[in-house]
Amino acid sequence: MDHMGKPLKILNGAIAVAATMAFSSLLTDPGLAQTLSSAYKAPRLPGTANPNLNGLWEAVNEANWDIQVHGAQAGPPQFGALLAQPPGPGIVEGNEIPYQPWALAKKKENFENRLVRVKYDELRLLPLDPEAKCYLPGIPRATYMPLPFQITQGNKKIIIAYEFANASRIVPLEKVGPAPVDSYMGWSEGHWEGDTLVIDVTGFNDKTWFDRAGNFHSDALHVVERYTPTSPGVLRYEATIEDSKVFTRPWKMSFPLYRRLDKDAQFMEFNCVPFSEELIYGHLRKTTSK
Amino acid sequence: MSERILAVNTPLIVVALLVCLPAAAQDRTASKAAAPSAVKASAAKKWLTPWGDPDLQGSWSNTAWTPLERPAKYKGRELMTPQERAEEEKRRVQQERVAFYDPSWSDGRTSLIYDPPDGLKPPLTPEAQRRQIGWNESLRSEPPGPINGPEDLNLRTRCIIRDPLPRIPANYVNNYEIVQGPGFVSIFQESTHETRVIPLDGRPHLDPRVRQWFGDSRGHWEGDTLVVDVTNFNNRTRFEGSTENMHLVERWKRVADDRIDYRFTVSDPATWTKPWSAAIAWNKSGPVYEYACHEDNIDMYAILSVARAADRKAGEAAKKSK
Repeated sequence: MDHMGKPLKILNGAIAVAATMAFSSLLTDPGLAQTLSSAYKAPRLPGTANPNLNGLWEAVNEANWDIQVHGAQAGPPQFGALLAQPPGPGIVEGNEIPYQPWALAKKKENFENRLVRVKYDELRLLPLDPEAKCYLPGIPRATYMPLPFQITQGNKKIIIAYEFANASRIVPLEKVGPAPVDSYMGWSEGHWEGDTLVIDVTGFNDKTWFDRAGNFHSDALHVVERYTPTSPGVLRYEATIEDSKVFTRPWKMSFPLYRRLDKDAQFMEFNCVPFSEELIYGHLRKTTSK
Repeated sequence: MSERILAVNTPLIVVALLVCLPAAAQDRTASKAAAPSAVKASAAKKWLTPWGDPDLQGSWSNTAWTPLERPAKYKGRELMTPQERAEEEKRRVQQERVAFYDPSWSDGRTSLIYDPPDGLKPPLTPEAQRRQIGWNESLRSEPPGPINGPEDLNLRTRCIIRDPLPRIPANYVNNYEIVQGPGFVSIFQESTHETRVIPLDGRPHLDPRVRQWFGDSRGHWEGDTLVVDVTNFNNRTRFEGSTENMHLVERWKRVADDRIDYRFTVSDPATWTKPWSAAIAWNKSGPVYEYACHEDNIDMYAILSVARAADRKAGEAAKKSK
């Protein structure tokens, strides 16, 4: 916000105070408190003691741009407001991502290169948000992409199908042992703690980002997710992130997930591979000039 | 069409939240509507989910060495003799250079197609014969002409999709995971990590303006069989040379702990003179893994780089000769 003049900063502060006061009164509203608490008892998946999480869900936030609190930012000028970054309150608890010093420098480098296409070697791609290339987004990022995902919850396994890039993962509700191989979407193992679905995810490769702002991890990433129904239309999502190669300690993110209630809402295809080919292979296209 | 699912006026959220109640008259899950005596009368073992739907869940593979169409040497015969079968398996083991042979890969039939009874696809319509198909990017072949850009390679090499629906076994990665919830059957295709989310509540298909690589699926139960109606294909998948108006009906029925009987019928009046059907066994298999096909797709780099290097070389040769 350095570009704003002093009068604007004062006005901004006044608005922030007013908003906080209004929000505080909302928090004492019993309906909203109910929505955000875990006192709600969801209907069971028949034949099990567990809540039924089947359905189409979506995050409503700007975390995919930047998981930390952030203001608006210009995008590539030729796209005007279309690809400008919207502001968001962030989803990181405490708003700090505890990078090791080398990793903080790397995050900054990712951030500088996130929208810029750099000259390519023949076989190597230089840093660019893997989302632009329609690469599998990994966990937890897939959860807060701006597209819905379908939870199909059975009695033995759960499939979470994300619309982005047709990404999917299978979550067995039993012990599965260590990941046989690294993957983009990780190796998931689920279990219930009361009405909370806990998914332990390991076996990641180091090729996904947490957001478009260049927040990243190594192949030592370990994510523990918690999905708790707090009302018929809301899940509370929490994810604890651990990565001994990149961060100095574990850290946490949390946000609500909303059930898609549109009359005709259904899981649809977003196969972005064809949309990304020019970006990835365009430099290998035959040119007409000699 | 007789297979068209009738729209049922039951909101999805009601189905999702009230499945624990006794079967309502409008509930489309046939097993819950079946009277107890009908269930007892069947001598077959029942595989049921806790909410009473037939249970197709598990990790499955549809690997099969049976060809889609009946080879000429087996003309008129649905089954191979035991000797022919042994010879065929021996030949395939050598050809495929496999370390071991899984007997589930062949059930002794001469073709996957069972209708028409000659085991061959029906004739093409005059329109399909006239149609300028050119090179079909959905096939596993390479293009006849120069490779100037990614669009000159097939869908499989580009990892856009590996194979269209209906799924006929490929040489590898024929693995599927079925997970069911009340009101849904989801089928995860290992190749390439797509999930078919199939609602069972009888809602109408997507608007015809929306075309998808794997179409739009709607399922319902007929006894123990999951019947899925698929429309809304795009004009690029062109299964066996068909158009975007191909209509696919699939059936899954569990017949053993470790086997599902899968059948499909495809019809496309613009392509074939009549519908045709095939049956492929889905056998119990090991866990399904992630197939990250498009990510760091080295094939694309290699093929395009080699083509550009050849262009450069040809350009230099042309300059030298001037």
